Amino acid sequence: MSKKEERDKWAIAHIYASYNDSIIHITDITGAETIARYSGGMMVKADRNESSPHAAMQAAFQAAREAKDKGVYGIHIRVRAPGGHGPKTPGPGAQAAIRALSRAGLRIGIIDEVTPIPHDGTRKPGGRRGRRV
Amino acid sequence: MLYHETIRIPQERVGVLVGRNGRVKRRIEQLTNTNLDIDSEGTVTITNPEDTENPVLAWKARNIVRAIARGFSPKRALYLIDDDAQLIIISLKDIVGSSPSQIKRVAGRIIGERGRTRRVIEEITETKISVYGKTVSIIGNIPGLDFARKAIDMLIQGSPHSTVYTRLESMRREMNRMQAELWEESPE
Repeated sequence: MSKKEERDKWAIAHIYASYNDSIIHITDITGAETIARYSGGMMVKADRNESSPHAAMQAAFQAAREAKDKGVYGIHIRVRAPGGHGPKTPGPGAQAAIRALSRAGLRIGIIDEVTPIPHDGTRKPGGRRGRRV
Repeated sequence: MLYHETIRIPQERVGVLVGRNGRVKRRIEQLTNTNLDIDSEGTVTITNPEDTENPVLAWKARNIVRAIARGFSPKRALYLIDDDAQLIIISLKDIVGSSPSQIKRVAGRIIGERGRTRRVIEEITETKISVYGKTVSIIGNIPGLDFARKAIDMLIQGSPHSTVYTRLESMRREMNRMQAELWEESPE
């Protein structure tokens, strides 16, 4: 690999931030080849902390380190929430992960929000009488 | 890198977003290093100059504009400039259905008599809440934000206010405990 090639190497960080977990998945620019993948659940012990900003930050740091080892210079970011009939705003981990990635020394390119929004899709769970607790 | 996003806001909030002599608009632009293009019909375009060092700022600008569109005053919306603060928008239409009288009833439950319920939730969970039209929006930090959301969900589901208040009290205790734990875990 020549030096010039190395400086140009860009990747995509797919950040999936739900209320239960956050997953940071760095792939090459086509999205077909994984470079690094970490989730909040891999960083903490308690289940309820999987989606916390702290866990997301650590996961992002780990992912960034692995990506940098493989020669990635900058990343584009794609944030998404569960979408569909679920919540359409990214969870608490999203902002923390973006911040951690930029702090880890990677150039940040374009930030996109790619939450899937239904053009009227499937029915929400719960049935006609709603969720009964 | 270029960032470009268009948001639609209600027409009556355009004046708030611009502010007297464009003061609010200018302040958001300065704080987040972005350009806001606002037209009188409520279309806001956020663009980011090429050479920005902090790409998260454009994201924040977007959240601030959305918060103002959802009924927050500019002063309260600008709390979102803080790194840990987040914005949650709950659509009442999705949960209670599209009947205007039902939406009005649920909104009234969240606000409470003379805004009492809203104020109690805000004070206990250290958040800011705005009930505007068909949406309820919350600005705050983790863990308080989650607790405020839970309390509002309970009110929407129909729990009596007294139950929500007692639940909020126990949430507050848990919040204090979590904060104490946080200090123990991270000595740096």
